[in-house]
Amino acid sequence: MIKLLNARFVERCPASEPVLTNPTKQELSARKRAAKYAKILEEQETLEQRVVEAAAPPEALRFLLLTQTEPAAEGKDETSSPIVAPGEKRKHDALESGTEYGATDEPVVLWRANFEEFIRRLRHKACIENVKTRLDDGAVTVLKAMLEATRSTEKKVKTENSVPLSLSSIYEEVIKSEDGRNITFDRVRASLIQLSCPPFVIAANESYSIDFKKIIEMAQNEEVESIVLKRYGKDAYRMFRLLSNSSHLLETDKIADAAFVEKKETPKILYKLWKDDYLQMEKLQVTGAKRLTQFLLWKVNKKLLREHVLDEMFHASLNLSQRVAFELEQEQELLNIPRDKRLSRLRKVRLLLESSQMKLDDAIMLFHDF
Amino acid sequence: MSAKRKRPGPAADSAVTEHEKSVHEVIRSKKDMGVSQWEIKREINLAENIITKCIKSLVSKSLVKEVKSIQNRGRKHYMSAEFEPSSEITGGAWYVEGSLDTEFINVLKEQCWRKIYGVKVATLEGIADAIKRSNVCQIELTKQQVEEIVKALVLDNEVMEVKSTGTGEFASIPVGKVCYKCIGKRGYGGEPKLGALAFIPCGVCPQISRCTPDGIISPNTCAYYQKWLDL
Repeated sequence: MIKLLNARFVERCPASEPVLTNPTKQELSARKRAAKYAKILEEQETLEQRVVEAAAPPEALRFLLLTQTEPAAEGKDETSSPIVAPGEKRKHDALESGTEYGATDEPVVLWRANFEEFIRRLRHKACIENVKTRLDDGAVTVLKAMLEATRSTEKKVKTENSVPLSLSSIYEEVIKSEDGRNITFDRVRASLIQLSCPPFVIAANESYSIDFKKIIEMAQNEEVESIVLKRYGKDAYRMFRLLSNSSHLLETDKIADAAFVEKKETPKILYKLWKDDYLQMEKLQVTGAKRLTQFLLWKVNKKLLREHVLDEMFHASLNLSQRVAFELEQEQELLNIPRDKRLSRLRKVRLLLESSQMKLDDAIMLFHDF
Repeated sequence: MSAKRKRPGPAADSAVTEHEKSVHEVIRSKKDMGVSQWEIKREINLAENIITKCIKSLVSKSLVKEVKSIQNRGRKHYMSAEFEPSSEITGGAWYVEGSLDTEFINVLKEQCWRKIYGVKVATLEGIADAIKRSNVCQIELTKQQVEEIVKALVLDNEVMEVKSTGTGEFASIPVGKVCYKCIGKRGYGGEPKLGALAFIPCGVCPQISRCTPDGIISPNTCAYYQKWLDL
C-alpha cells in the first residue's frame, strides 16, 4: 500500500457527503454582472462540478496514509513511511495522536485507483517513445530523468510544461538512473542542446523544462500526416505539411510552387483532401480590370481535424474488435478445413488484429487523453 | 474594326494582310506573357476561322511563335517572335516544356540532402556553395532556388529547420540563424514510420464513412480486411 501510495497509483476517495459552501452575495452579484456585460458563452460552473470539487480531498491529504499501519511501519526509516508534505507534518502528528487511541468514530478511509496518475505515466511514456524515434539514447535518458524528477509536481494530466530544472539537478537525476550511471556532465549538457533544437525542452536562464505540448502535438501531427501520405500520396503529404505548418490561408498556386506539384494536379489533390475534411477552403473573388477572378485559399484546422481523426480511430477500433469476434465465430463453423490449418490461420489473424488494436489504443489516448 | 496606327515593322510585314496585322498587334501587345486564341478573339472582332488562319500564316512567316504555358497546358499560346516567354508562362527554372521537371528536382533534392547530411548542420549559404562547387547542375542555381529545394525537403520530412543556439553542433553558426538538419535515423527517401491508424485498412479506407457493423460495407465482409489478413 505504501508503495502504491508513493507512486501515487492510489488515492483517497472523495468525501461521500461533501459540504457545499454557498457562494456569497458579492460573488453572486459579480457573476450576474459579468454575465450581463460580457455576454460570452462561458461554461457555467455546474452544481455537479462544484460538488466534485468540494468532495476532492485536499492535495496534501490525497496520498496520505495514516495511523493503523503505523505500528507495523515502526523501525523503518523515515523515508519509507507515508509521504508527508513539509508543513503537513505537524498536522499529521496531531491527527495521529487523536486516532491512535481507540478513536472508533473516525471514518474509515476509502481508497481508489488514481487514474490520473496512470494516464500521466502513459503520457510520459508516449513522450519518450516519440523522442526516441528522433534522437539518440543519451537524449532519451536525460528526458527520462527529467520526467522522473518533475512528475510529482504535475497537477493535471494535460500539463503543458514541466517545472524548470537546473542543469546540475538534471545531472543528479540522470546518474541515479540505471542507463545514466556512466553519463558525464558534458554529455548531459550536449543532450539538452539536442533536446532543445526541435524544442522538446525549453531552455531559459540555465534551467530546462519539458515542452509536453510540443512533443504531444508532434506525435499527433505525425499520426495524421502518415494517414495523408498513405491515403493520398507523397505530393499530398508535402502539401498537407505545408498547410499544417502555415499560420494563414494559402492560395492554390502558392501551394503548387512550394510543394513542387504540377499546377494542374494541385487543385485536384487539394479538393480530395478538402472533401475528406482534412482541409478547409475559402473562396476569394477579386474583380480585376476585365473579369472576375476566383482564388481558392486553403488551410488546416488542427482542432477539427484531430476530432475527425479520433472519430475514425474509434470507428476503426470497433471494426477491429468486430473482426476478431467474427474470425472466432468462423473458426467454429469452418469444419471442413483441417483443424491445424484453421488454428494456425486464426492465431496469425488474431495476433495481427489484436496487436493493431493495442497500437490503435495508444494512438487514441494520444488524441483523447494527452 | 477601328483603324489602327501602322507600326513600322520588319520588311516581311508588308506581305501580311490587314487581318494578320491586327492579330499580330494584339499578340505583340501582350509582350512576354503571350496570349491564347480565345483571348485574341475577345479583343478583336473577327471570326474564329479568320483568326486561326491569320495565326497560322503569322507563324509560318516567323512573326509569331507558339509557346507552352503552365497555366493552360492544353490550350495553344502565342507570342510575338521578338519576346522570350516570361517565367510566369514557363513556370521558371523548374519547368521544361510547360511541365514540372520532376527528375531534375529530385536529383537536386537528393544532392542537397547529401550536403546537409555530410555536415550535420548546414546553413542555406553553405548548401548553395556546396552545390555550386560540386557541379551537379549545369545551370547556376540562385540562393533562392536552393532555398526552394531545401524547403521542399523540409516538407518531405527529410530535413528539419532549426535555429542555431550557438553552442554544441551550432558552434560555428551565429545564434538565431536558420539552419537545416537531416531528420533522425532514416536515410534519404525512407518513408516515415506508419501511424497506428495508417497501418490498418480502415486508416486508408475510402469507404469508412459508409462502413457499419451490419451494413453492406462492414468489417466482416470487408475486402480490404480479407486481403490484409490473408497476407
